[in-house]
Amino acid sequence: MTTAKEAGRPASRRWRRPAVDRPAAFWLLAVPPTAWLAVFFLAPVALAILFSFRPDMRGSLFAAWTPSLNQYASLFATASYWRLLGVSAGMALITAACATVLAYPVAYFLTFNAGRRASLYLLLLLVPFWTSYMLRVMAWKFLLGSEGVINSFLSYAGLVDKPLALLIYSRPAVVITLIYVWIPFVTLPILAALQRVDPALFEAAADLGASPARVFTRITLPLSLPGVLAAFFMVFIPTVGEYVTPLLVGGTRGIMYGNIVQDFFTKAANWPFGSAMALVMLAATLALVALALRLVDVRRWLE
Amino acid sequence: MKHRRCQTIALPIIAVLLLIGCAPAAVPPGEQTGTLTVLEWAGYEAPDFWTDFQTTYPHVTVNFPIGASDADVYAKMAAGDQADIFHAYTGWLEFYVEEGLVEEIDTSKLSNWDKVPDSFKRVGQVNGKQYFIPWDWGFTSILYRTDKIPEGVTSWSALLNPAYAGHISMWDDGPGAVTVSSYIHQWDETAITADQLATIKDEWIVQRDLNLFYWAGEPELIAAMAGGDVWLAYAWQGAYATLLGQGVPVAYADPVEGRNSWVGVYGIRKGTPNLDLALKFLDAKLGAATGNNVVNLFYYGHTNQDVMSGITDPALIEAFSVDDPAILEKSNFTPNLTVEQRDAWTAMWAEIKAAP
Repeated sequence: MTTAKEAGRPASRRWRRPAVDRPAAFWLLAVPPTAWLAVFFLAPVALAILFSFRPDMRGSLFAAWTPSLNQYASLFATASYWRLLGVSAGMALITAACATVLAYPVAYFLTFNAGRRASLYLLLLLVPFWTSYMLRVMAWKFLLGSEGVINSFLSYAGLVDKPLALLIYSRPAVVITLIYVWIPFVTLPILAALQRVDPALFEAAADLGASPARVFTRITLPLSLPGVLAAFFMVFIPTVGEYVTPLLVGGTRGIMYGNIVQDFFTKAANWPFGSAMALVMLAATLALVALALRLVDVRRWLE
Repeated sequence: MKHRRCQTIALPIIAVLLLIGCAPAAVPPGEQTGTLTVLEWAGYEAPDFWTDFQTTYPHVTVNFPIGASDADVYAKMAAGDQADIFHAYTGWLEFYVEEGLVEEIDTSKLSNWDKVPDSFKRVGQVNGKQYFIPWDWGFTSILYRTDKIPEGVTSWSALLNPAYAGHISMWDDGPGAVTVSSYIHQWDETAITADQLATIKDEWIVQRDLNLFYWAGEPELIAAMAGGDVWLAYAWQGAYATLLGQGVPVAYADPVEGRNSWVGVYGIRKGTPNLDLALKFLDAKLGAATGNNVVNLFYYGHTNQDVMSGITDPALIEAFSVDDPAILEKSNFTPNLTVEQRDAWTAMWAEIKAAP
C-alpha cells in the first residue's frame, strides 16, 4: 500500500531520504520498540488470554490446565459488571470530550497568540508533571475534601452551612480530576496539528474576505482535526480502564470497571476471572474505537 | 606426580566437607552474612519489628518486598515469588499448605518457642503439623469518635446504621463483610449458605451508600477519622492506637456479638535455600524486644507471653482488655476460608461495588 502511494505521488516528496539503507534502518529504528512491546505488552496480554481460560486458581500456576469457559460464562451472567463497563466508557467519553474541548483554546493560544513566549507558556503547562501523578491527585483531596480549600472558602463566605459532600468521593469528582490530569497531555497533539497549518492559507482566506470565525471553522478547525482526534482517543482509551483516580477520590460510588479488575487480582487472588474481565474491556474498547473511526472517516482528514 | 594429583583432588573435598560440617557452628551470629527476603505487610518492614534479629545478625541483609493484602501475599507466593519468608493471616493459611507452598517448621530450632502459648501454636498448625509461626494478634471491632457518637457503639450493626450515613468507613474486603453479617445474624461463619450469602450481598449493597469511602490502607482511615469525616469504621487496633496517640477522642467498641480476633503468622517458602537463616529470623521475631515494639508501637498483641504479661501501660491494657480475662473467649476467631468461600465471597464483594 505504501509503495503504491509513494509511486502515485513521487513529486510530493519534500525531503531526501537519509543515507541509511532500508534493512539497517529497520533493525535500528523498528526492532527495539517492537521487541520491547513484544516482551512487555504482547507477552502479558498472551498470558492474560491463557489465564482467562483457567478453571480456577487451584494447582500450580505454571502447570498446564484444561481450558474452560467458566470465567467468561460467569462474567457474561453478571449484569452489574456490564453496566459498570458502560458507565466507565461513559465517564471516559465525558473526560475525553471535556479535556479536548478545554485544551483546544490553550493549543490555539500557544500557536497563534503567544508569540515569542510560546515555549515559556508550554513549559509552564508542563510544570505539573514535575510532581508525581499520585501527589497531584492527592492534592485534589485537599481541594475537594469536606474540610478542603473549596469547602472551607464556601463556609467562610457563608454560602453553605455544611460542607458540600458531592465534591469528593463521587463520580463527578473522578471525572473532574481526570479532566485536570489529562488537559496538558491533550494540548500537545492539538498543538502539533495547529503548528502544521500553513499560514499562507489564513492570508488567502483574509484576502478573499473571510471573517475570523469563518477562517476558524473552514480552515483552522478542519486542518487541526487529526490532532484533536488523536488527543481524544489518547484520553478515551486509557481512561476506560482507569483505576487509580477512582481509588483516591471516587469513594464507594465513583468506582470504575478497572477497580473491579484490580480487585480480582489483588483482593480476591482470582487471576483467571480478572484476566477475563480485562480482556473483555480491551475488546470492548477496541470495538468502540473501531466503530468511532468508521463513523467519522478519519482518512478523509488525514489526507 | 601421582601423589600430588591425589592431593589436589583431596584437598578441596576435605575443605568442602569441613565447611559443610563446621560452618554453622564456626560462624558466630555477629559475623554471619547472607540475604533474607521477607514478603511483608507495609509498616512491618520497619527495623523496630525485627530488632532482635538485626542486633544479633547485623551483617545479614533483610529485604522486605510488600504485599498489599492477604490475597496479594498469597497470589505472589503461588506465582513463584522467591521470598524466603511470608507474613500471612488467619483465614488464608490452609491454601499455602494445600498448594505445597510452605515448609513444615522444625520448632526444636526455635529458642523462643516455649514462650508461645499452646492456643497460639495451634493456630499455625494444619493437619497436625506446624507450618506457621504465630507472631502478631489483635482484634477487629468498630472504632468510633466518642465526640460524634456520644451514645456509644454496642453492636456490629452500627456499620449498617443509616443514622451515620456518610460517616462510616468499611474495610474494602468481602470476607470481612461476611464476617460482620454472620455476627449480626448469629450465623455460623464457616457454613454460610447461598441464601445467606444473597442476604449479605443485599445488606451491603444498601450499606454502600452509608460509607464515605471503603478504606484499603490504615493511613487513609486514620486521616479521615482524625479529620472528623469518618465517625465509625471497621478497624484494627493499630488505627485505634495511632488515633489515641494523636489525642483524637476515639473508643474501640466491645460489641454484644463479640469482637473479632485474628493472628498473623510467618511461613517459610518450601524449597528456600536459606532455611537455616529463615528459622533464625523467625526465632528472633519471637524475641522480647521485637514483641515489646509490636505492643507499644502498633498496639497489637505478640505471641510471646512474657511480653504480654509485662504490659503496664493503662491504654494498652484497655486496648487488649488485659484486665478482662474473658475477652478472648468473648471474641470470635477468624476461621480459615475454603477456596470456594474465598472465590464466592470476593466475587460477592466485587458485585456489591459494581451494583447500580
